Amino acid sequence: MIARDAAQQFAALDGKMEVDDYNFAHFRTKHLLADLRATLAKQGVRPGDMAPDFALPRPEGGSVRLSELRGRPVLLHFGSFT
Amino acid sequence: MDVLVRQAHPGPGAPAYHSVEEKLASARAYQRDEATPWTVLVDDLAGTVHQVYGGLSDPTYLIDADGRVAHYTMWTHVPTVHQAIEALVEQGGRGVVRGGLDRLPHMLPWMTAGWRGLQRGLPQSFTDLETAAPGTASATWLGYQLRPLLAPLTLRATPLPVPARIALLAGVAAAVALGARRRKRD
Repeated sequence: MIARDAAQQFAALDGKMEVDDYNFAHFRTKHLLADLRATLAKQGVRPGDMAPDFALPRPEGGSVRLSELRGRPVLLHFGSFT
Repeated sequence: MDVLVRQAHPGPGAPAYHSVEEKLASARAYQRDEATPWTVLVDDLAGTVHQVYGGLSDPTYLIDADGRVAHYTMWTHVPTVHQAIEALVEQGGRGVVRGGLDRLPHMLPWMTAGWRGLQRGLPQSFTDLETAAPGTASATWLGYQLRPLLAPLTLRATPLPVPARIALLAGVAAAVALGARRRKRD
């Protein structure tokens, strides 16, 4: 694993969460408020900017590197099992 | 592509992850349960890619053929994403489309679609959400039960006009008031 551009940008990211905080055991009001704050701050990659490159594993084996998909549009959704 | 992040609403059947192997197993279950025809990827335990892309619970990026962000839906809303895809195709697969950003929390579609995820962490996922934001877990269950009736609203690409929203809220408030009155009488 994994993330070339993304790892560098993550290292420089303000307010990033530590592993235990990120993988919380209980959903709390503060998590909802964090989403609302992130929305107001337009947190994320701005339209028109290069999408940070990464390579992530597939559950069935192998991996996908985003930059290898150049030449065609890509839909990228972040989501949870729950 | 779907990138699997943390458990948003953990519970006994879907506890918080402690390893990438657990995430990979969870992704395999997701692929099996949902019969996903699209690519599923698994972020690392720290959520490195997720956090770099903003860390929101349910965002969607449309990336153009040059690798630039064409549209960013901060709270995924399928009709909005669909319109962005159509716009990108129309302009040859490159450039920013439809203003580039949708940050409207589309709560009604979330209420009708969210129950399936919440179900996997029951009962803790329900009680945690209900405690964190009273009424939302119950509303998610109700929204899921009523999803065929709510489809004309949840599948709209544009929000209802303000007068229609006020009328809808007034109708819900009246129904709740009538129910409470009847309950008091009984």
